[in-house]
Amino acid sequence: MTLSSNGQHFKQEWEKNVEKTMQRFPERRRSFHTSSDIPVDRLYTPESLSEDYINQIGFPGQYPYTRGIQPTMFRSRYWTMRQYAGFGSAEETNERFRYLLKQGQTGLSVAFDLPTQIGYDSDDPMAEGEVGKVGVAIDSLKDMEQLFHEIPLDQVSTSMTINAPAGILLAMYIAVGEKQGVPREKLTGTIQNDILKEYIARGTYIYPPKPSMRLITDIFAYCQEHLPKFNTISISGYHIREAGSTAVQEVAFTIANGMAYVDAAIEAGLKVDQFAPRLAFFFNAHNQFFEEAAKFRAARRMWAKIMKEHYKAEDPKSWKMRFHTQTGGSTLTAQQPDNNIVRVTMQALAAVLGGTQSLHTNSRDEALALPTEDSARIALRTQQIIANESGVADTVDPLAGSYYVESLTDQIEKEAGAYLERISEFGGAVQAVEEGYMQREIHQAAYEAQKRMESKEDIVVGMNEYQVDEEIHADLLKVDEALEKGQIEKTKQVREQRNQEIVDRCLQELRNAAAKQDNVMPPIVRAVQAYATVGEIANVLREEFGEYTAM
Amino acid sequence: MKPIRVLIAKPGLDGHDRGALIIAQALRDHGMEVIYTGLRQSAVQIARAAVQEDVDVVGLSSLSGAHKSLFPKVVEALKKEGADDIPVIGGGVIPAEDIPYLEGKGVHKIFTSGSPTDAIAVYIKQLIHQETISTPKKIAHIGIAVESIDAALPFYQHTLGMELEAVEDVESEHVRAAFLRIGETKLELLEPLNETSAIASFLEKRGSGIHHIALEVDDLHKRLQQYKEQGIRMIHDEPKTGAHQADIAFMHPKASGGVLYELWQPGKGE
Repeated sequence: MTLSSNGQHFKQEWEKNVEKTMQRFPERRRSFHTSSDIPVDRLYTPESLSEDYINQIGFPGQYPYTRGIQPTMFRSRYWTMRQYAGFGSAEETNERFRYLLKQGQTGLSVAFDLPTQIGYDSDDPMAEGEVGKVGVAIDSLKDMEQLFHEIPLDQVSTSMTINAPAGILLAMYIAVGEKQGVPREKLTGTIQNDILKEYIARGTYIYPPKPSMRLITDIFAYCQEHLPKFNTISISGYHIREAGSTAVQEVAFTIANGMAYVDAAIEAGLKVDQFAPRLAFFFNAHNQFFEEAAKFRAARRMWAKIMKEHYKAEDPKSWKMRFHTQTGGSTLTAQQPDNNIVRVTMQALAAVLGGTQSLHTNSRDEALALPTEDSARIALRTQQIIANESGVADTVDPLAGSYYVESLTDQIEKEAGAYLERISEFGGAVQAVEEGYMQREIHQAAYEAQKRMESKEDIVVGMNEYQVDEEIHADLLKVDEALEKGQIEKTKQVREQRNQEIVDRCLQELRNAAAKQDNVMPPIVRAVQAYATVGEIANVLREEFGEYTAM
Repeated sequence: MKPIRVLIAKPGLDGHDRGALIIAQALRDHGMEVIYTGLRQSAVQIARAAVQEDVDVVGLSSLSGAHKSLFPKVVEALKKEGADDIPVIGGGVIPAEDIPYLEGKGVHKIFTSGSPTDAIAVYIKQLIHQETISTPKKIAHIGIAVESIDAALPFYQHTLGMELEAVEDVESEHVRAAFLRIGETKLELLEPLNETSAIASFLEKRGSGIHHIALEVDDLHKRLQQYKEQGIRMIHDEPKTGAHQADIAFMHPKASGGVLYELWQPGKGE
């Protein structure tokens, strides 16, 4: 938009004043930039708004969904407050789950330990020292039954951070539901199932990219038929950001990965409108408040355009980017950990103003260990305070029309678009990952951020400035070191009590399906019902698919 | 000099290698040759890589909480490979209370969250060039500022019953010093010779009392060089000649929490 002549006059007046003021009070920096190196102007005016504002921004619940995917957003229902939790044994985690539900949490989110995430049983030599450390240890259906003991699966939605063995854990969830009398079509929740970002940033891959992509499309196809209400994937920028990317890279690489999954599913013979409505996303809420809020708006608009224009999806549900958000773990400091509550609050606010569908707020002590019950409660309360006390949820997309936020939204879309072009030159995300392109870009950004911090160009309160002498520890959650032994013992008993003949037959069926390009999900479901373990099932696929080793 | 070779390794199943990659890059920027193992390395794999690559130091990173079982295994595996001369350092998400346990198991040093990469590089350089700081030998003396040695001596000689060893003028410091032996150390009474003496201004500000503690060291030159690299504040960047022809240098009290320390290396004649 252009300014009226009157407006021009006032603007010139202001510019003169700026010059005068700057002589006496120079600005803090020669130039200002966001985390993505987008220049930040001194002032934004109506001139920053696009002439075609209404088409560009749209209305809530309407294409291109800049303002949110529902017409009324949080006026109808708050976002889902979903705290990621899990540690030690299934019993302990079940207890934490039930505590969180009692405290008003509205969805579950399971953290699995690393052996589970990489398809090893607790008694595998590779698992030594890692059992129950960063999440709950699940070996067999027996553990999964205990994990959801007295939690009715038709009443909660469950998100599971599981990728390479996603099909196995989903199969266990189905089996637990059946034992509770809940039919699979009633199950709601999400499996992360996003292998590409594992190669890029998170590291819990098992198989090489090609068979991994096939496992994912097998799950898409299976869920479309049997679990219509389950989100089949959560395409994650969160970990890309944690690994050190900028906000623009987070959006670009996540969308590039999303396109790779859509391509793979179409290639596997699925119709875009059959599976696209069940795709979900997962983003980070980092420090720079306006850039983060704008990032969510930009990502939503980009995805809508890509699905409609590039993939010719016709169902509006296929255009809508639904996403979960977690506040940025790597922004937390081990020093003065209570300051983290404030960081989390601002990050959570940016996510809410960006229109997230669900939210995890980190606990203050997570730079040091898994959260204690007290810390986890404060983190949940932070969301409840934003929802119930701040009033920010009472109107839809309140930052819209801010000259600055709209300008940032446009800029992020433009720069992320440039990355998408670069990635398509590689032949798509799978190729770009295999050539290490995204990994290098992220590492470069991470190293620069580290240098800015060490030179104090970037201040981290309590860490490189405003330090105090303190003993860094407080009350930390300790995972019982004896747990590993107990878990190994438990799994040994399961193996002794089950019918080994059935297990062997199920695993053979799985092997055949994997070799013949049949959908692997039905044999996996039968195998877990026979109490075959995560490791046994993952190992059959290891033998068929091989293992991925990074460069 | 041959560049220092470092193996950065990720033991266990943890996939978070942002820190490991940043440290690898930072050490390269410090002129070191860095080999990064990649994820999911067993202790034996790490030890063999260390031997094959002929590295000077192994750096381990773990953020999954498995450090207590994994780090000592690497130390063990190096021993089995006959390479226990390669020091192991570590970092990641490691609670302070676990550090003594890890050090007890032979890990040289743990860098916790927030450690600057420069500090890690400086530490490795010192470690490899055998420039580790050795323990000070003893308290060489305790310096006590007095208005007048003659007036103060009767208390030390008669009330406390100590024996006066020597009185000496130290022109460079504008002080007269009286030495009283006590066990393997001494008390040193310091009287200003004129207004420009540091003791004169000390007396003016704080009155008489304990002025400094002198620590006997045998590596003064090397220490001063290292402190300079580490940015530790000194009053004297170069050794000076003190009483008994000793080499001395004072540290800045800001660097030592308000205590004035003198580093004291006996002269050749003593």
